[in-house]
Amino acid sequence: MAQQGPSHPLKTSLPETYAAINAQQPPPSYLYPSQEEQDKYLEGRPGATQQHLEIALEHAQQIQTQKDAEDVILNHILELLELPSSPAADPATPSQEDTVKLKYSLAPFRPSDYDNLILERNFEDLCGYALCPRKHRKKNNGPQGGFQFKYGPKGSGPGGRGRSVDIVSQDRIEKWCSDACAERALWIRVQLSEKPVWERRAGDTRGTTILLLEEARAKRLKAPAATSSVSSVVNDLQSMGLGNRDRSRELALERGDTSLIRPDGRVNVDIRENQHGSQQVADAPQMRPEDANGGSIEGYVPRERRDMDQDGDIDLLDQI
Amino acid sequence: MDGDSAHSMEAEREMTRLWRTFRTVYELLADRGYEVSDNELVLPLEDFRAKYADPLGYPDRTKMKIQARPTDTMKLKYTALPSKANPNPQPDCGTIYVDFCPDSSGVGTKQVRAFNHLVDENNFHTGIFITQTPISPSAVRLLSGVPGRICEHFQEQDLLVNITRHELVPKHVLLSPEEKGKLLERYRLKESQLPRIQISDPVARYLGLRRGQVVKIIRKSETAGRYASYRWVI
Repeated sequence: MAQQGPSHPLKTSLPETYAAINAQQPPPSYLYPSQEEQDKYLEGRPGATQQHLEIALEHAQQIQTQKDAEDVILNHILELLELPSSPAADPATPSQEDTVKLKYSLAPFRPSDYDNLILERNFEDLCGYALCPRKHRKKNNGPQGGFQFKYGPKGSGPGGRGRSVDIVSQDRIEKWCSDACAERALWIRVQLSEKPVWERRAGDTRGTTILLLEEARAKRLKAPAATSSVSSVVNDLQSMGLGNRDRSRELALERGDTSLIRPDGRVNVDIRENQHGSQQVADAPQMRPEDANGGSIEGYVPRERRDMDQDGDIDLLDQI
Repeated sequence: MDGDSAHSMEAEREMTRLWRTFRTVYELLADRGYEVSDNELVLPLEDFRAKYADPLGYPDRTKMKIQARPTDTMKLKYTALPSKANPNPQPDCGTIYVDFCPDSSGVGTKQVRAFNHLVDENNFHTGIFITQTPISPSAVRLLSGVPGRICEHFQEQDLLVNITRHELVPKHVLLSPEEKGKLLERYRLKESQLPRIQISDPVARYLGLRRGQVVKIIRKSETAGRYASYRWVI
């Protein structure tokens, strides 16, 4: 009850700010309990062991991580609502500062979080693309919304004649200020990782390196244009150094043929078959002098029998 | 002239709908145990119109703000049992504040932030935010993320009729911590062995139940007359 008093220095609904306030006052209850507290907890419970407690604590930590991550994402959405920083910004040439902020903020996002951001921006009467300061399109066709025809550029129709026609639902068009912004925003969306941030591993580069549409285009232009002459292709192939082992492994990785884990030796199992023994062909059995009186099994004479032979007794087997 | 009458018809329809929502809110507060006067519970449409209509005849939602204090019986139900660590527990309930959002579409984080701010500034224990349209997912998360306060959200159409007055909905009664303790003692149960009810259940939302509480559900039975069952809120 004490924390509800008028002693709060800040009046805000931002969870981040609350976290900061809590950090100053009592420690958050979800921090890992000390050994003393753990012992005290176990004392009252004869059936529980230290191991049980550790498992429970680990799961609690995981859930807490999830909650924290969701808080962070919510904060980022709220921050991205403020972009771009100047009302005269041009979405085609965004400022360096805004670009960095956008890329940083989008790192923990999933596509569904990004959709939430677009929705929130539309609620604020802004274009869905975070770096665009304009308003989103709004055509009041009544509360039903409905669908709209969308015509492609000249010559995009079937057989290169006329225009192609798409029927698009109203709200999909009205998310953006223009088709260009729609393209920019959706280009970012496809780069986000579907995996929630608390399940991502350190090696996951998807989602952390986001390129704006303009940057990606500039990159593609800078890359050497494709040449068609045979000699240049041969030269290219030679310069790639396919014979080089390291290089070819790199290329395989690029194609997705080999996983990242394998060179570390975790699943690198090398099976080699033994070549011995299977080549020799067994000889057919031959008659030997000791086999003449019988009783031997492929040349082997059982010991009991050997003893009897030495004693000169009558061999029972021979008589049968 | 025709357009005018269509206009007033539209205003009349909205007025009536909102009046029904408004009455359900008062019933909800009374059922939860807040202090509500009898006049407010049976507010006629004419009075409502006179009080909350704007010059055009449409309802003015900015005027419709409700505050209520908990009754002593409610305070008792929300007071935890005294323990060694806390020998003198305080009731975990307080003034409730109900706000009707005037925006007819696109309710997002902006409006919810303003609402959270208001609840926090006036030191209300609980806030109920009522909107005309669904609110965005981030707004829902923002609403539930205020530490130390309880903020709930309803849509106007959810409260158009009072679901607990329907003949197929049995009576739900919240048990106080003491009654809960007696119940568990009587049947030699742990609370986790009780049947459960979700916190998102429409009746649980109506009653504003919290995790860990137990409700008694009283049904009619052909053979026994009355049949009571208990649910643990999760």
